[in-house]
Amino acid sequence: MTTTADPRAAIASTQRQPGTTGWLLLSPMLLWLGLFVVAPTAILFVYSFCQRDELGQVVFEFTWSNYARIADPVYLNILVRSLWYAGLTTAICLVVGYPVAYYIARSPVQRRSWLLLTVMIPFWISFLLRTYAWISLLKAEGPVSGLLEWAHAIATPLDILYTPTAVMIGLVYTYLPFMILPIFTSAEKLDNSLIEAALDLGANPVRTLAHVIFPLTKPGIYAGVLLVFVPSIGMFAVTDLMGGARVPMIGNVIQNQFGQARDWPFGAALGITFLALFVIAFWFLHDRGEVRR
Amino acid sequence: MKRLRLLLAAATALVAVAQLHAAKELNLFGWSEYVPQAVLDKFTAETGIKVNYETYASNEEMLSKLLGGASAYDLIQPTDYVIEALRAKGKLEAIDFKNVPNFKNISKEYTNLPHDPEQKYSVPYMAGTVGIVVNTEKIKEPITGLDDVFSGKYASRIVTLNDNRELLTWAMRTLDLDINKVTPDAIAKARPVLAKWLPQIKLYDSDSPKTALLNGDVDVGVVWSGEAAILYRENKKFAYVLPKEGAHLWIDSLAIPKGAPHKAAAEQFINFILRPEISALISEAFPYTNPNTEARKLLTPEQLANPASYPSATKLETFRDIGKAASVVDKLITDLKGGS
Repeated sequence: MTTTADPRAAIASTQRQPGTTGWLLLSPMLLWLGLFVVAPTAILFVYSFCQRDELGQVVFEFTWSNYARIADPVYLNILVRSLWYAGLTTAICLVVGYPVAYYIARSPVQRRSWLLLTVMIPFWISFLLRTYAWISLLKAEGPVSGLLEWAHAIATPLDILYTPTAVMIGLVYTYLPFMILPIFTSAEKLDNSLIEAALDLGANPVRTLAHVIFPLTKPGIYAGVLLVFVPSIGMFAVTDLMGGARVPMIGNVIQNQFGQARDWPFGAALGITFLALFVIAFWFLHDRGEVRR
Repeated sequence: MKRLRLLLAAATALVAVAQLHAAKELNLFGWSEYVPQAVLDKFTAETGIKVNYETYASNEEMLSKLLGGASAYDLIQPTDYVIEALRAKGKLEAIDFKNVPNFKNISKEYTNLPHDPEQKYSVPYMAGTVGIVVNTEKIKEPITGLDDVFSGKYASRIVTLNDNRELLTWAMRTLDLDINKVTPDAIAKARPVLAKWLPQIKLYDSDSPKTALLNGDVDVGVVWSGEAAILYRENKKFAYVLPKEGAHLWIDSLAIPKGAPHKAAAEQFINFILRPEISALISEAFPYTNPNTEARKLLTPEQLANPASYPSATKLETFRDIGKAASVVDKLITDLKGGS
C-alpha cells in the first residue's frame, strides 16, 4: 500500500504493483477470466484424461487413449485441412481487406465514419441469419444463379452451394471485418509526412508501400491475421450449413463429440490440443509483432 | 409481536399454496415441434395440472441434460434405443399401467419390442421410418431401394441425414448384415460400400433435409418420414418409398425418469395422450405414424393416404443400443467424409 506523500513516488510504486484500488478495479476481469476461461479449461483438461461409459457419461478413470486417438491420421488430416482453409481465408481476407482498410483510414473524416459503419452493420444481424441468407442467395434456383443465367454468364444453374467454394465464401464473408478493423486502426495512425518524405527522397510508390506503409501498419496486420486465423480454424456452423456437412473441419469433429457421438473425453482432448496450438501460434505472432514494432 | 405472528401465518399460507401448486405441475421434456400447444392446454383445463414443456432437438441433447441432473423432469420422450440404454442403467421409473387404462389403444405392433420387452418403462408416442424421398418431376425412373439411390446416376443430387449410425445401417442392409451387430467385421464390410456412396451425397442435413429438396438443390433424399410427409403435403411430386432392402422403424416413447417428482401427474398425462381424439389431434399437427389404433380410425382418408405417414410394408427394424461402438462408427464416417 502506498501512503507516501510524494505523488511521483506514489505513481512509481503503483506502476510496479497494483494497490487495493487497482486490484478492485481488476477484480471483475479476473473473476470473469477465472470463472469462464480458467475453470472450464481446467475441467476440459481433467475430462481429456477420462473415459466414457455406454450412456456417454464421463467416467473418472485415467487414460491416455484420447490423446493417442488424435494422432490417428484421420484426425491429423482433418486438422491439416482446417489449417489450410483457415490459412486461405486469412490470405483472402488480407488481400481484400488491406486496401479497403487503408482506403477507409485515408478518407476524409466525414466519409470515414460512414464507411466504417458499412463494415459494422452486418454485426447487427445474427450470424446464423446471415448464413441462411447466403444459402438462399446461392441455391441453384436462387437469385444469383438466375441473374447469371439471364446475363448468359453461365449455361446451367449455379452449382456452388454445398461445395468447398461455398465454405470459403462463408468464411471470408464472416471474418473480413475482423481483418479490416485492426488494419484500419493502424493505418489511421500512420503519419502522412513519413509517406511524403519517402516520396520526396525518391522512393517510388511500390517501394514506399513496401518499406514505409507496410512496416508501419504491421501491428494491425498481425492483429487481423490472428483475429481471422484463430476463429476460422474452429468454425463449424459455416461448414455444416453452407458446406452441407460434407467436409468435416476440426470444429465439426469437436462439436460432434459433445453432440451426436457423446464422447466428451475425446472432444475435450481435441479441445486441449487445439488450445495448445493456439497458444503456440499466438506466441509466435505476438513475438514477431513485438520485435518488428 | 402480533404483526410478526400475522406475517408468519401469511408465510405458512404461502408455502402451503406453493406446495399445492407444486403438486399440480408436470415437467415435460420433449422433442421440439412434437406436442401441440392445444393438447397441453386441454390437459391443463381438464386436470388443473400446469405443464412446463421444455424441448430438445436430439436424443443426445436430452441425455446430456437429464444425466447432468440440471432439472427434475417428470416425463421424457426418448427414441427406442435410448429407452433401452436408460433402462439398462436403471434411469427409468416403471410405469404403473393401472393408471394408464388407455394403453389398450396402442397397436400390438408397437408393444413388447426389444427395447422394452416387458413393456414396463415406456409408452409409444409416435413412430416413423427412414426412407427415400424422390422428386418425381426430376427423376422419372422408378426408385425402389438404396441401391437405386446410390447407383451413381444421381451423384451430387442426393441429400441424406447427417447421422453416422443411419449411414452405416443403410450400407449394412444392402449387405444383408444384422444392423444391430456393429462389430469390427461388419464395419470392415460396410466400409467399401460407404466409400462408394458418400462422395455421391451433395449434403448431409438431419435438421431440415426438406429444404434442399424444396429448393431444387437435390432430387432425392434418404430422410425421416416426417420430413417426407411434410414435403408430400406441400407438393405431391415428392414420393416416399421405403427401401426394398428394409427400413429403420423408430418409435419415440413417453417414459418417466428415475426420481421424477410428479409421477402420478406423468401417468395421468400419458393416459390423456392415449385418448383417441387427443392422439388424432397430435397426428393432425405432426404427420408421423400414429401407433394408436383407435386414433387412426378418426383420421381423414387424406391423412391416411400420405405414404410417408402410413407407408406400405417392408422389412422394418428398430435400432438397439450399441453402447461404446458409437465411437467406432463416428470415426468411420469422419474418416470417409474426410477422405472425400
